[in-house]
Amino acid sequence: MNGWTGQFLRVNLTAKTHKIEAFSEEFARKWIGGRGFAAKILFDELAPGVDPLGPDNKFIVALGPIAGIPAPNTGKAVVAGKSPSTGGYGDGNLGTRVAEQLRKAGYDALIVEGRAASPTMLVIEDDKVELLPADAVWGKGTYETNDWIYAKYGKGVGVLNIGQAGENLVRYAVVRSMEGRAGGRTGMGAVMGSKLLKAIVVKGTKPIPQADPAGMKKVGTDDLREVHQIDKKSGWSIQSTNGVLAWCNEVAALPVRNFRKTHHPDAWKCDGERLNNARIATYGCPNCTMRCGIAIRDDEGRESELDYENIGLLGPNLEIFDLPEIGSLNYLCDDYGIDTMSGGCVLSFYADAVDHGAAPGSFRFGDAAAAKRLLGEIARRESEIGKILAEGSMRAAHKFGHGSIDYAMQVKGLEVAAYNCKFIPGMALAFGVSPIGAHHKESWVITFELKQTVRDSYGPEKAQKVIELQRIRGGLFEYIVSCRFPWIENGWSLEHYPKYFKLVSGLDWTLDDFWTVSDRVYAMLKLFWLREYPGTDRKLDYPPAVWFDPSNVDTEGPIAGRHLEYDKYDGLLQHYYDLRGYDRRGIPTWATLERLGVAAEGQAAAKFGTLT
Amino acid sequence: MKITVKLIGPFVQLFGFGEKELEVPEGTTTDDLIALVSIDKSRPKIVTRNGRAVVPGEALADGDRVVISPIYSGG
Repeated sequence: MNGWTGQFLRVNLTAKTHKIEAFSEEFARKWIGGRGFAAKILFDELAPGVDPLGPDNKFIVALGPIAGIPAPNTGKAVVAGKSPSTGGYGDGNLGTRVAEQLRKAGYDALIVEGRAASPTMLVIEDDKVELLPADAVWGKGTYETNDWIYAKYGKGVGVLNIGQAGENLVRYAVVRSMEGRAGGRTGMGAVMGSKLLKAIVVKGTKPIPQADPAGMKKVGTDDLREVHQIDKKSGWSIQSTNGVLAWCNEVAALPVRNFRKTHHPDAWKCDGERLNNARIATYGCPNCTMRCGIAIRDDEGRESELDYENIGLLGPNLEIFDLPEIGSLNYLCDDYGIDTMSGGCVLSFYADAVDHGAAPGSFRFGDAAAAKRLLGEIARRESEIGKILAEGSMRAAHKFGHGSIDYAMQVKGLEVAAYNCKFIPGMALAFGVSPIGAHHKESWVITFELKQTVRDSYGPEKAQKVIELQRIRGGLFEYIVSCRFPWIENGWSLEHYPKYFKLVSGLDWTLDDFWTVSDRVYAMLKLFWLREYPGTDRKLDYPPAVWFDPSNVDTEGPIAGRHLEYDKYDGLLQHYYDLRGYDRRGIPTWATLERLGVAAEGQAAAKFGTLT
Repeated sequence: MKITVKLIGPFVQLFGFGEKELEVPEGTTTDDLIALVSIDKSRPKIVTRNGRAVVPGEALADGDRVVISPIYSGG
């Protein structure tokens, strides 16, 4: 089957068995790969209500038809499972050699089931699959674990591993790779930890089936060179993702002090210019043309690789503006395997709750030393506060009570990415309707809102833009499994992707064909949520309450006195549902499911929740 | 009148400054200002005046802060 290896590898850690399973061409065309494969497999195989941290959850590594093939920024993999943070579908993507190595080993996805009896490392070398002891690195951080694996197998192998946070079931623990890459902020590191699966090592030697391998090699190699040249000309990589920090500060979109403020006079201290000046090294994913990982020396002399999200949420959001201090918090998150974004939001939530007398303790905004200690306590679950905060801001708020849920910046249990939507209605919608909780990877509309429309608007054009971007970002790039940066930051045309798809699969698809797949995947994810939360309604798609709070407005600056309004947001949400063909609860209608070819999945979900 | 111009992201390195104050005549527009700091017209950008996106040819006022940024897409 050109374009796909046509096989999944299924490993059961309880029974210590594995099997290779073939999938059909029809399955491949319907779900393409990555998020599409993961959503379908998890929907079909997980009984509703399974404990995300129990042996019945499954951990999936899924790849797409161009994953791992030399072409711009294809070195990515999707990790997925039922999310310990949200209780719904969860996934994430990360740069890793696993993308290429797993496909060369002969698999488009790895499905891990059960729970090992002791700390385990899964080693895959083509058809040879071994479960080896990982006691030597259990309790160790991700850097030491990665080095231990490289020492055994060499640096060319694909590696996924977890740190102490994953082992101790911190609900926002991530999966790490290549010492600098992380993915699965919906708690996929905790899913690995719950299975006592410390690491996965992959080495493959087979060719990846392609319709026109010579053509793909020529086009892919030329395009790698071209995107790199475009990036050099645009200068995007000079400050990489953190270029946006200064802009967010200017337009009142920066998270400061647990999102209570939208800008700060000291934000320049950790902006892209300062980050570039402090650069000691640059890192990227396999097949990268525009490496975005800028490493600096942290305040303890360690190398720490930073980007906008971790600077925004571990920095200004905690009222910490010193780059080496932020670097240190980032290093600890990376080594423990804590998601830097949720980590920053959980700490800011706690500082805010303490500040308002809603939680015990003395933690304050701006206290980097205390933040470092807390991250260790969270990762090891070694103090009462550490145990509570390891549960994430939503669950911690329920534990603290005293109205502290109002300080938890989260949607569906997943903490908000580093864009303060106090008065950015479309981006608030993007967070609200993201199918995994408040993640920016699905849709990002802020520039559109400020430039092409009016910031005050709650009109259908914003809902339409959110859907357009979901189809591309949360759809196409998540199921063909490739980095969106060449397109999104350097204008690399989307038309290249059907071209790559044709070269590997022989299928002549248009972008519209892909948008149908995107809509199908989003509908499936909604069905997954419905099955887990049968009483679900539109409130599940609301952003944090603090953005609607008239007492929380800016007193100066471009959005002084402004906040989101409930009735208008609800109208914007309805525009989104109408355009998507969802009912008033945000559930796809039968007509929509039939149009997208997932009526059978609808029948399965209808046993647990009503469909209209 | 005095206008503060701030560049964002790689524009800082590409156009040689981060932030500066300029003395400009009354009636100066945002388009005039962009030409004044030698930013190529064809380069995609978003311009804000006191934190709000501008319309083409928008007139400036004394004390304005104009920010010129590449079009970021949120990573």
